[in-house]
Amino acid sequence: MDAPHAAVDETFRAEIRAWLARGLTGEFAPLIGAGGPGREHELIDLRAAWERTLGAAGWIGIGWPVAAGGRGASLAQQVIFHEEYARAGAPGRLGHMGEQLLGPTLLAFGTAEQQKRFLPGILSGTELWCQGYSEPGAGSDLAGVRTRAERSGDGYVLNGQKVWTSLAHVADWCFVLARTDPGAERHHGLSYLLVPMRQTGVQVRPIVQITGTSEFNEVFFDDARTGSENLVGGEGAGWRVAMGTLGFERGVSTLGQQIGFERELNTVIDTARANGSLQDPDIHSRIVQAWIGLKVMRYTAVRTLASSADGVPGLEASISKLQWANWHRDLGELAIDVAGPEGLVAVGGAYELSDAQTLFLFSRSDTIYGGSNEVQRNIIAERLLGLPR
Amino acid sequence: MSSLDEQREMRRTVAEFLDRQADPARLRTLPPPADGFDGELWRRAVVELGVGALVVPESAGGLGLTFADGALVLTEFSRRLVPGPLLDTMVATAFLSQVDTPSGAALLRRTALEGLSFAIATEEVAGAVGTGRVTETGAWQLSGRKRSVVHGAEVDVLLVTARVDGVPAVFAVDGAAPGVSRIPRAGLDHTRRYAEVVLDGAPADLVDGPGPGRLLDLMWVALAVDSVAAARQCLEQTVAYLKVRQQFGRPIGSFQAIKHRCADMAVTLAGAEATAQYAVQAAQGGGEELSVVAPLAKSVCADAFMVVAAEAVQLHGGIGFTFEHEAHLYLKHAKANQQLHGSGAQLRREVGRLAGI
Ligand SMILES: Cc1cc2nc3c(=O)[nH]c(=O)nc-3n(C[C@H](O)[C@H](O)[C@H](O)COP(=O)(O)OP(=O)(O)OC[C@H]3O[C@@H](n4cnc5c(N)ncnc54)[C@H](O)[C@@H]3O)c2cc1C
Repeated sequence: MDAPHAAVDETFRAEIRAWLARGLTGEFAPLIGAGGPGREHELIDLRAAWERTLGAAGWIGIGWPVAAGGRGASLAQQVIFHEEYARAGAPGRLGHMGEQLLGPTLLAFGTAEQQKRFLPGILSGTELWCQGYSEPGAGSDLAGVRTRAERSGDGYVLNGQKVWTSLAHVADWCFVLARTDPGAERHHGLSYLLVPMRQTGVQVRPIVQITGTSEFNEVFFDDARTGSENLVGGEGAGWRVAMGTLGFERGVSTLGQQIGFERELNTVIDTARANGSLQDPDIHSRIVQAWIGLKVMRYTAVRTLASSADGVPGLEASISKLQWANWHRDLGELAIDVAGPEGLVAVGGAYELSDAQTLFLFSRSDTIYGGSNEVQRNIIAERLLGLPR
Repeated sequence: MSSLDEQREMRRTVAEFLDRQADPARLRTLPPPADGFDGELWRRAVVELGVGALVVPESAGGLGLTFADGALVLTEFSRRLVPGPLLDTMVATAFLSQVDTPSGAALLRRTALEGLSFAIATEEVAGAVGTGRVTETGAWQLSGRKRSVVHGAEVDVLLVTARVDGVPAVFAVDGAAPGVSRIPRAGLDHTRRYAEVVLDGAPADLVDGPGPGRLLDLMWVALAVDSVAAARQCLEQTVAYLKVRQQFGRPIGSFQAIKHRCADMAVTLAGAEATAQYAVQAAQGGGEELSVVAPLAKSVCADAFMVVAAEAVQLHGGIGFTFEHEAHLYLKHAKANQQLHGSGAQLRREVGRLAGI
């Protein structure tokens, strides 16, 4: 499955592979396979400790410039990191929103002071972040954000509600899109604020998801406070900064996730072989189609990597988002069909689900978050194909 | 692989030649049964561009291009649906170049010198499995029937798969030789002519080499390249139409139902293009991986092409359903690409088998 890489990349691969093999033993051994989509509730404290261990070894922010505390790793190496991470079954990252969304945003839009204050916490795995964009009235249409931030003394006071906020219950900080100019419409008058989560003005209420577990929350700001030094990109520039973050969200980590997908597909194949459903011509053909679909994503990633030295261009990211979200959702359905009647009953407890059940249910979110399928199609049609609005 | 500049220059030369000589409008004016094969254009392309010997080694008098560079030239032909023997000829010569037999080398030299064209005949007529046998003089003779041979009645040489003592092998047969009957069949697809080839003790040269598996692999990769090239052109043409065609007082391309279908096409095609590109590299490298990648690429790319071509007909409305517009040419070419040299279902089963599923 691996893309062809230069020798220096192979050395890098060997290094991270060996480190993970050593790291996921002893106290961290239970983390193998824990966390991630549909399992974000698992082993939170141990995973927080794992973040700090990763950080101490310099494995967070490897693609950031050396001056910013990263390793300046190439795009190919970042993909290798994600591949090896998934191959090792290392746990779902609690720090990914800081590392992949806020960090790059601060590198692009933050002041030197902001970088100095916040990047080390991300790189060391000691400060965890959540993303406060969506609201009850502002989902795909993010410009409908209504949460208010008013100047008060040398800071801001926030009032309003965010929703679907992943990992808000473990986060130390939240990057919030809020309205600083109540008279301004839509994407004007918005600001990008960094808000501490552990204060009385912030309340987090878990939302039970389709899997019966909770990884996202409602977040209520009730006179929550943050300092004016935590405004990124200037007052009123929030839309531009937030759009930058969305670009990062559709970026490099999805290129490496295919190893995780391959593991999931192999599990489905093993199950189908064990329970005999592989003999069913329809199941067999769907499995082969899934295997082929994974290869096509692989070849697409190889091509993207070959054509862009330092980042995934936005439009290719939209194509890849649709490609993998659909593939993964279909895999979820294949997994539950392969499980057969066994997949209809919980494996234990009140609603303790099997891998196939979790995959079937949680993969439904892939086509919603990070820009829904429909939103991605709008982007491709209008910006790539140039169809009129 | 040659440098990017050289590749760009080569593509431009070919594109300019074809823009002058192979306007798709000209295609539409070739009425049946004169359609499906543009012999005049092929002759000029051989003389002016040397396209008959693209991947023939320089040592045999050819242009000595890599398979990947040859695929770039093929792409220019394919996006215009140029009706001629380039695809089969490129596959045949690439195959013969990998063959280390005197008969193969002789054919390559003749291709460079005389501009031979080829057709690849793999599909057997049910119940008429081709066999080869050695005569008393030590020469080979073939008997059997092959169907759906693309341009089979027009080309100079047929590369034929046949069994010798049950083992498959590849032979070269001179199309004009005694014992060879070529029965033209009108094609569904106007961009190709078809023939049923009946061999009755036809003299043949054994050119075995890497074996029929490798010949099919190269054919599948070439069909993948042909498919994505034509599909890209078809999508671009369709999108251009959607921007100008007005209904309900606005361009129909501004309706979201249509936008989303175009976006889905773009996603499907992007994956197929990446797959074709990967397969071309694998064909060039000649490694083990090709045996999986080639059938995979053919089925993925031909299916993507079919999706795009079918949508093109739908999104053009009535005009897309006529001989006055080229949408139907793409649809018919796409269906043929799905079926030729193994259907999607057959190829996917092959991929599954190789993947151990
Ligand atoms: C698992 C998960 C985790 C999430 N984590 C976070 C997080 O950490 N932080 C955060 O801020 N948000 C998060 N989200 C929220 C996510 O970004 C939104 O759910 C998403 O943007 C869609 O918004 P919505 O839910 O309001 O749906 P809506 O926008 O109401 O969409 C409903 C349906 O309408 C379609 N639709 C909307 N607009 C259009 C249009 N113009 N054209 C065609 N169709 C359209 C959508 O595609 C969708 O099918 C998360 C969501 C999920 C599922």
